[in-house]
Amino acid sequence: MRWATLTLFSATALLLAQNINYQPDAKWRAPEEAAAKKNPLAEKPELAAGGRKLFKRNCVECHGDSGQGLKNAADLQLPIVQDQSDGALYWKIINGNPDRGMPSFSGIPELQRWQIVLYLRTLKPDNTEKTGK
Amino acid sequence: MKLLPSGMLRSKSRILALVLIVGGGAIVHAQEAPYFVTYDHHLEEPGNLEIATWTTVGLPRSGQKLFFAPFSEFEYGVTGRWTAELYLEGQATSGDSAVFTGWRLENRFRPLEREHWINPVLYFEYEGINEATKILKEVVGNAGISNERNAELASVHAHEIETKLILSSSFHDWNVSENFIVEKNLSADEGFEFGYALGVSRPLSKLASGEECRFCLENFNAGLELYGGLGTTNGFGFHKTAHYLAPVISWQVSNNSSIHFSPSFGLTDVSYPALLRFGYAYEIRGFGSKVARLFGGSR
Repeated sequence: MRWATLTLFSATALLLAQNINYQPDAKWRAPEEAAAKKNPLAEKPELAAGGRKLFKRNCVECHGDSGQGLKNAADLQLPIVQDQSDGALYWKIINGNPDRGMPSFSGIPELQRWQIVLYLRTLKPDNTEKTGK
Repeated sequence: MKLLPSGMLRSKSRILALVLIVGGGAIVHAQEAPYFVTYDHHLEEPGNLEIATWTTVGLPRSGQKLFFAPFSEFEYGVTGRWTAELYLEGQATSGDSAVFTGWRLENRFRPLEREHWINPVLYFEYEGINEATKILKEVVGNAGISNERNAELASVHAHEIETKLILSSSFHDWNVSENFIVEKNLSADEGFEFGYALGVSRPLSKLASGEECRFCLENFNAGLELYGGLGTTNGFGFHKTAHYLAPVISWQVSNNSSIHFSPSFGLTDVSYPALLRFGYAYEIRGFGSKVARLFGGSR
């Protein structure tokens, strides 16, 4: 009984922590060629710190400080986002989805966009919020 | 003690909240090109408001007068593909007077959803200005330099429509933009005027450092602009047209503000010898939703 309560509580906490307004756009998919691109900075994880700064400057307005998603923007911690390839995330940063409110960030230099992808990979669900610790 | 009616109190608190929203804004996106005249394909982010003040200073040839033409810009991202702007402009000339020269309402639309090699943007502007305008936000037609006094120039009003085809490309770290301009003065029978603006720019650093810093190279964006007139329907071409070559630089001073500077050099006899342009821009993110919440909306 205690385990069932705990499971139910955890599931509820997970649900509440996510952005319930977010509806993924099934049509917004990176072409195969773009999705297959490798992150040229993949071997330099230390550059994610710069990505974090760029994320704070450009992305937190809609995606929140820890990428949890605000307004109708995606929760970047979710598997539906994290399971996408680096190339797919990079393509989405470049192109945006203007009809759903996501602008194009093609004006950010190429390597800085890859730095943002590096940082996105570090986003993890904020357990302190969910467990109350 | 006199109590305010509740309606007035509510209005005052809304105005105060509006001031707090404006004063407490946050982040400007770091991808703006440093251009003064050329437009690229990046629009304002939906719901964000950018407030900017720009100034054009005209350095004279002998027999001409120094002028100082400031203008304010309010740029709002209506949707992901539509940005609207309001401009208010003025002008002061040495040995003459200072005058309000009018307003402009500008709209930019991005017809294509995705990023392409060349990204078109359609631009429509209505101008309610007078002939004393000297901000030189663009150069069209056969630009002559008038030595008439401000009082005479300001009394001649002009209702103008201006359209631009903006083409812009991102190649790695570079932005390359081309603007083709057509302007029609609805208040005078003078045909259409044509102009162009070309720009190329890039940030000074490819990578972002991990530290918060004001003077890091990644906060600077530099480039070059070339712009000028292409005559009118009565005489298309370069004859008696003004052209300028202008290095440009912008500095992201903080997350929500930037400073821009550009000296422009006149290339023909009918150009000003030099123009100095400088400006400061401040962006308020989520302005639309904050105002909507203030008035009971849920946007």
